[in-house]
Amino acid sequence: MLQSVRYFSNARSQNHQSSVDPTEISHFNMLASSWWDPHGPSRLLHLMNPLRHEFIARCLSSQSDPATNSRLQYLDIGCGGGIFAESATRLPNTASVTAIDASPGVLAVAESHKRRDPLLMSPGRLRYLNTPIEKLPKPASEAEKYDIITMFEVIEHIKHPASFLSSAIPHLKPGGWVILSTIARTWTSWITTKVVAEDIARIVPRGTHDWNKYINEDELSTWFLQQGGWESPRSVGVIYVPAVGWREVPGSEKLGNYFFGIRKLPV
Amino acid sequence: MQYRATLWLRDSIRTIPKLQLRPTQRCRYATAIDSPELFDVVCVGGGPAGLSLVVGLRASKTTSNLKIALIESLDLDKGRMRNPSPDVYSNRCSSLTPASVRYLQEIGAWSHIDISRVQPYQEMQVWDGITGSRIAFDWEVNTRRDVQPSTIAYMIENQNLTTALQTYLEKLGDITVISPVRVDSIDLGNSTPELDLRSWPIISLSNGRRIGARLLIGADGANSPVRTFAGTTSRGWDYNRHGIVATLKLSGSGWGGEGYKIAYQRFLPTGPVAMLPLPGNMATLVWSTVPERAARLKSISKCDFLAMVNAAFRLSPVDLEYMHSVSSGQQEEFEWRVKHSAADSTKVPMEVVDVQDGSIASFPLKMRHADTYTGERVALVGDAAHTIHPLAGQGLNQGQGDVAALVSTIQAAVETGADIGSTLSLEAYNAKRYAENNAMLGVVDKLHKLYAVGSGPIVGLRSLGLKAVNEIRPLKKFFMKKAAGV
Repeated sequence: MLQSVRYFSNARSQNHQSSVDPTEISHFNMLASSWWDPHGPSRLLHLMNPLRHEFIARCLSSQSDPATNSRLQYLDIGCGGGIFAESATRLPNTASVTAIDASPGVLAVAESHKRRDPLLMSPGRLRYLNTPIEKLPKPASEAEKYDIITMFEVIEHIKHPASFLSSAIPHLKPGGWVILSTIARTWTSWITTKVVAEDIARIVPRGTHDWNKYINEDELSTWFLQQGGWESPRSVGVIYVPAVGWREVPGSEKLGNYFFGIRKLPV
Repeated sequence: MQYRATLWLRDSIRTIPKLQLRPTQRCRYATAIDSPELFDVVCVGGGPAGLSLVVGLRASKTTSNLKIALIESLDLDKGRMRNPSPDVYSNRCSSLTPASVRYLQEIGAWSHIDISRVQPYQEMQVWDGITGSRIAFDWEVNTRRDVQPSTIAYMIENQNLTTALQTYLEKLGDITVISPVRVDSIDLGNSTPELDLRSWPIISLSNGRRIGARLLIGADGANSPVRTFAGTTSRGWDYNRHGIVATLKLSGSGWGGEGYKIAYQRFLPTGPVAMLPLPGNMATLVWSTVPERAARLKSISKCDFLAMVNAAFRLSPVDLEYMHSVSSGQQEEFEWRVKHSAADSTKVPMEVVDVQDGSIASFPLKMRHADTYTGERVALVGDAAHTIHPLAGQGLNQGQGDVAALVSTIQAAVETGADIGSTLSLEAYNAKRYAENNAMLGVVDKLHKLYAVGSGPIVGLRSLGLKAVNEIRPLKKFFMKKAAGV
């Protein structure tokens, strides 16, 4: 807990250009070539993707007032090879997706993979930008803001999560959602992600995770609610069952991988 | 999801400033002319599986936006049933399980079927040709107190099904039907600065048209060109048996009358002979036997053929062997021998009195199973994925099961924004169907082999097994449910 408070304070990093750790960038550059290999190191991320959409759909349907827009604009931060960004672009109720990543290597993979699908290539649907969120130009008007900001499996790789989130928030429309997924900092997540996934089963390459950067779900909702202007935080835990796939397990958000969503108060 | 090739080629050049075009590649309109027309789903094969698939996708709200093409080498329109006569039936019939019928109802196709030509049956008599051990499958007797479907299966002409699916397809509209056009070749696409189609199958057609598929579906039968393109091996063996089919006329509408039809199957050492009810006095024959006997059955006179069919359900294998060996005179042989036969005439089908002209045909029997049903941007359904011995009447039903599973897999992919052609999206289809089909193929194959034994201890044991199944009601119910797909 102490450690997380240290990492998760607003105090530092205002002078940082980017919240992304350079060693993380080089690590993901290394992963780039295998990003879209269905049996490669990113297989678990691919398998998790449908659950992301289910979670977003549930967040949106939990609103009592109508959605900000019938055709949604997404900002996907830390898009990697574009697994989520591509899929969000294909949905019928998506207007456009802007996907950003600090790693040029994975973004080149994303750009190249995008060319395999004419739908994604149709103008204005999917745009990749090689930039950290801090350097993304701030929206000049409400229309330039996004309905949904997503950060999937990103925040656990960030040095200064609070400043990272603070940089993302101005891009969100009132009534829009921040949706993320990450891993809770627990002894179970240490065993599953560091020991089992990286060392024993070798499902993901060694060095993919830094357990000390993990953030718990209550820390996230507390941080947002303390900022003011946020409502309806929700979360659900997901567990990977070998030979079955990812399954939502209510309560498991306290154990390991979980989705988190919170809504900016509508005006 | 309507793509306009020229549009995105032009616009995407603007949106990817990083990709520098070399002067030679700047001639983009030439590229656009050579570009294949792109579809989300291209289904090769307009048989029952292919038609059900495109109709299923088009009828579902989730997948109704997909751009779909159906390619068939035969003239689909000519193959339609038009003003059929009530006493003429096609010799290509199938036994549709309640599960298959339910799926066709769900997608809205069943209401387009000419129901007057469909014959449900409520009982199935199966017996061992050597020992006479019998098993009677009938829902009424065994599950009187349960709420169970009383119909075991529905006999239907394949043409009735495909005609209904075509009528429905036209009503739904918005599917590009390319027929009669052959597939000349299938290759992978090219990469241009605008678009990378190296994972997309590009189908070159006999009319010169080229179309690209986000997902290419092989519903193109046992010798599937799509399967060959995917590089998937199909394994199995030939049974060295031919299936004789014919449309028959019986002396009456059956021992149970019009409302209670019975299917019959007798296991002979050379293979099973089955008679399945059609409306009125009509029935369809499926007789699997060795190729020499099949050839003779096709060459003998009509009277002798009728005698052979009647004998197949009544006389001993020894009598039958003799009758198969003579080149003519089967009618006299049968009339003389049947007097000495112990067969209970009410436990065998009613006497066959006529065979429809030109309806006697034969086909070789095989067992085949593709190593996998999916690859990148490829999926196989129906006979392209598996060929089964007809003894359990499961071939077409397995295809319908494949279609239902593939449609739901594609729906799930569309709902979560996945590329419907990606290996990951298609994995679920293979997982849903492979093991189930493999089990059915295995059971049917073992049944064929078990009953191909003419003498020795196995004959006694299998009769004991059949009797046991007949006596143990829960077991019998289990088999019936499996066969009905419920």
